[in-house]
Amino acid sequence: MLSFLLIILAAAFFTGIIIRTKSIASGRKGPGLFQPIKDVVRLFKKGAVYSETSSFVFRIAPTIYFSSVFVAMLVVPFGQSKWLISFNGDFIFFAYVLGLGKFFSIIGAMDTGSSFEGMGASREALYSMFAEPAFFILMGSLALLTGHTSFQEIFATLHLGSSITYALGGLAALVFLMIAMIENSRMPLDDPKTHLELTMVHEVMILDNSGFDLGLILTAGYLKFAIYGAIIFNLFSGTISYEYAIPMFFVMQAFLAFVVGMIESFMARFRMNHNAQFIVVLSSVSLLIFFGALLVSGKFI
Amino acid sequence: MLQVLLIIFLISLFYLSIANRMTTYVNVLALQGVLLFFVAFLELKSINTLNLILILLETIIFKSLAVPIFLKYVLNRNHITREAEPYVPNFVSLIITTVIVVTTILLSNTMEESYLDKMYFVVALSTLFTGLYFIASRRKIITHVMGYLVIENGVFVLSLAVGNKMPMLVNLGIMLDIFASVLILGIFLNKIGDVFKDIDVNQLTNLKDY
Amino acid sequence: MIEIYLIGSVIIGTLLFFNRGKALNYTLIWLFIALQCAFTIYACMNYNKTESTYFTFDSLGIIMLLTATIISIPAVIHSHIYIEESEEKTPRSRATYFGALVILITAVSSAYLANHIAVVWIFTEITTLSASALIYHHRNKLALEGTWKYIFICAISITFVFIGILFLSLAFAKVGSDDLSYKNLLAHSALLNLSWLRLAFLFIFTGFTAKLGLFPMFTAGVDAKDKAPGPAAALLSSIVMCMGFVGIFRFYVVVANTSLLHWASLVIGIAAFLSLFIAAVYMIKVKNIKRMMAYSSVEHMGLVMLGIAAGGIGYYAAILHIVLHSFVKSSLFFQYNQLYRVFKNKNIYQLGNYFKYNTTGALVVLLAFISVTAMPPSGMFVSEFLIFRSLFDSNQLILLLVVLLLLTLIIWAFAKNIFKILFIPAVNFDESTVPVLSPWRSVSQFILIGGAAYLGLNPPPILVDLIKESILLLPL
Repeated sequence: MLSFLLIILAAAFFTGIIIRTKSIASGRKGPGLFQPIKDVVRLFKKGAVYSETSSFVFRIAPTIYFSSVFVAMLVVPFGQSKWLISFNGDFIFFAYVLGLGKFFSIIGAMDTGSSFEGMGASREALYSMFAEPAFFILMGSLALLTGHTSFQEIFATLHLGSSITYALGGLAALVFLMIAMIENSRMPLDDPKTHLELTMVHEVMILDNSGFDLGLILTAGYLKFAIYGAIIFNLFSGTISYEYAIPMFFVMQAFLAFVVGMIESFMARFRMNHNAQFIVVLSSVSLLIFFGALLVSGKFI
Repeated sequence: MLQVLLIIFLISLFYLSIANRMTTYVNVLALQGVLLFFVAFLELKSINTLNLILILLETIIFKSLAVPIFLKYVLNRNHITREAEPYVPNFVSLIITTVIVVTTILLSNTMEESYLDKMYFVVALSTLFTGLYFIASRRKIITHVMGYLVIENGVFVLSLAVGNKMPMLVNLGIMLDIFASVLILGIFLNKIGDVFKDIDVNQLTNLKDY
Repeated sequence: MIEIYLIGSVIIGTLLFFNRGKALNYTLIWLFIALQCAFTIYACMNYNKTESTYFTFDSLGIIMLLTATIISIPAVIHSHIYIEESEEKTPRSRATYFGALVILITAVSSAYLANHIAVVWIFTEITTLSASALIYHHRNKLALEGTWKYIFICAISITFVFIGILFLSLAFAKVGSDDLSYKNLLAHSALLNLSWLRLAFLFIFTGFTAKLGLFPMFTAGVDAKDKAPGPAAALLSSIVMCMGFVGIFRFYVVVANTSLLHWASLVIGIAAFLSLFIAAVYMIKVKNIKRMMAYSSVEHMGLVMLGIAAGGIGYYAAILHIVLHSFVKSSLFFQYNQLYRVFKNKNIYQLGNYFKYNTTGALVVLLAFISVTAMPPSGMFVSEFLIFRSLFDSNQLILLLVVLLLLTLIIWAFAKNIFKILFIPAVNFDESTVPVLSPWRSVSQFILIGGAAYLGLNPPPILVDLIKESILLLPL
């Protein structure tokens, strides 16, 4: 229950902090912190417009996307407590439930018959494909370090002691952050502000959604950010007690949002064909983490 | 701490394989020099102080300052274009570099020797092979020289691994570094810049077996 | 005496480099030759003594030192002639040439005598420096290209040898001593860690193949010999190759006394066979006479290393072969200068009918051809035959057959080119500009080829003893 509430709360202001940081970094005052929530509420009150060329897939895709993110949220633990879904190998479940949602959003986009959306869908599929090995190798090395295979047990028993494990932990956090940026289609892979046909990736997939569906998709996007933030938080806080953990959680989420905002303000987006390279770099770095984990756990050499 | 520095060194190899601009190569070489400075400082505790100061000075001054400044001077003077032109796309270079690192790790597993900290061996050999791959896959002559400097860094890491027992070898390695860099960079790159207007390895194909 | 030798040579070299007067240059260079001969005689008299802790006058060193001294005398004579007759002679290029020549011969002689692997490494580096100054003599675009390739590949090879030395010190770690001299390594050969020794052998072998002219780093040598002036190319393909051989051989002795003997022989055998194969392929294709001679050197080095890999009588044959090859190949390169003076071109299509223009020179070419392709009665016939016998003794029959086939191809290609040069008139050749060359220029080459024949067919017992002494430490 705790992690559920915390993630929802964090999602409420995470995106707001990002937008506010970007505005202040460019010298403007920017919208209020809860503006994204107000946008979503406004969208929920509107009706949706469906094109005549689209089929039932286009109508159910946003709902399935939102529910997949919701179910993934149920897997993420907080500290020592587990939540509704927790079993051995549940991080694979996590990854593929999110994958299911992404699959439906991709085919929903292709269902509209527009070539823009098809192009965005193929790019999205490519980047997720390259990010998958990075995520799994990383979770695999964490599982190797702790000897458990469920999210909650891994994070509960992860002790960061020697300097090399701190190094690995820091590196893992960086890789997770980058995976979060990939999954949420943020810089440096995809600029959410650009609406030029050559350069859109994720924005183009939701171009034709409107009203309630768009509200669902936006909410799911905010929740995903908060989920990844919670995972990164869990990397460092397995054994801290609740009184400290809860404020630290919010502080860390705010900090992560701030970092994301800064990255977005100061970096340009990569050239399209460099994006794939960049993601494979993440896989290579996570391979290094894997071997480092082997080194530390003594199963090597 | 030592392992963290060596891991960052390996990540700099990955970055080198996807980098596009010549100045990025030079900056990564300077970064590697700084990393090696700290590694030398942390590792060589049991040799006498004068020798240690000499080695540290050489690392920081030569690898991080003198050589990058000289390379930038050569880049400016010969109007070398900004792009590094590889024969294979950067994506493939990255995969090959990853394969090199993984193979070195697997190879080090077959050595039944606990005398040497395996990390040194892995870092040294993967740097060596990555440097060789660089030389083979890039078009410009100056990137050949940079690949050679990467090989030198790998040799330095390996010599640090045995440096505690035989400091003479570290000194020999430094002498090799300075000699080869001064010779190759100083004399011939300038001459080649003057004689061949376009620094492209494809120009160096006149000596074939016609 | 070795310190006197080294300091004296450095002083002579520096003086040569900075001094631009002709008469003084020639005096200095003959002074150096006198110093070299004196040093050789001193070395022969102090057989098996160690000086300055790093140099030992052992049997292999003395054989190679004698070869080097004997070859460097005609090298200096022909350098005189070459520099005097070349069109672009400036005092500066003459000074650089002779200075670099002195340093090259000194470094090579010291490398033969060194008994510590790091000292061999240092002198090999110095060889790279001086050889590149020699190759760059003409200072044009092609020479620059050849020099750049040579320097770059040799720099990488030197780094490889250094890495091998580092691995060797790791292999040596359990012994607890600090001394990497060959004697010490041999004494503790049972305690060496085998996996590090394997890596050390691989890297040291690969590094020295740049000097030796074997696969995989032979390309540097081929380009260098193509671009270097004739006498310098002669030195590069005789005494520098011997230096590569000494570097590998001394370390091979250490490795052969551990259980890695079979594996090391396999590695050397594969590299040697590949060099033979590549030499055969290129010899059929090549149109430039200097490159043809360079690839022929690669082929002979392949044969030498095959002898080492096979073992038994092959060790004796290998050392004999490399000594004889040095004599014959250098005489061929010395003769090349006269060829170039007559035809002004290196392309085989533009050369021809040499017998008409320079009878003694053409005789030299013919005799050298007979020697290089190891036909009787040349001395190299004996050594090649012994190498084949050692391959037969070690039951490598298929390898022997393939090697003989490749050698037949090489003989065919070489013969085709040589007979064209000697007998068939060249296309579009203008006969009026041919200079008349004195037959005395070819005297040194006759002496060298004749000496090689004599040493091969009727070796003096002292040579046989010396060679046997150098292979004493190898297991059979």
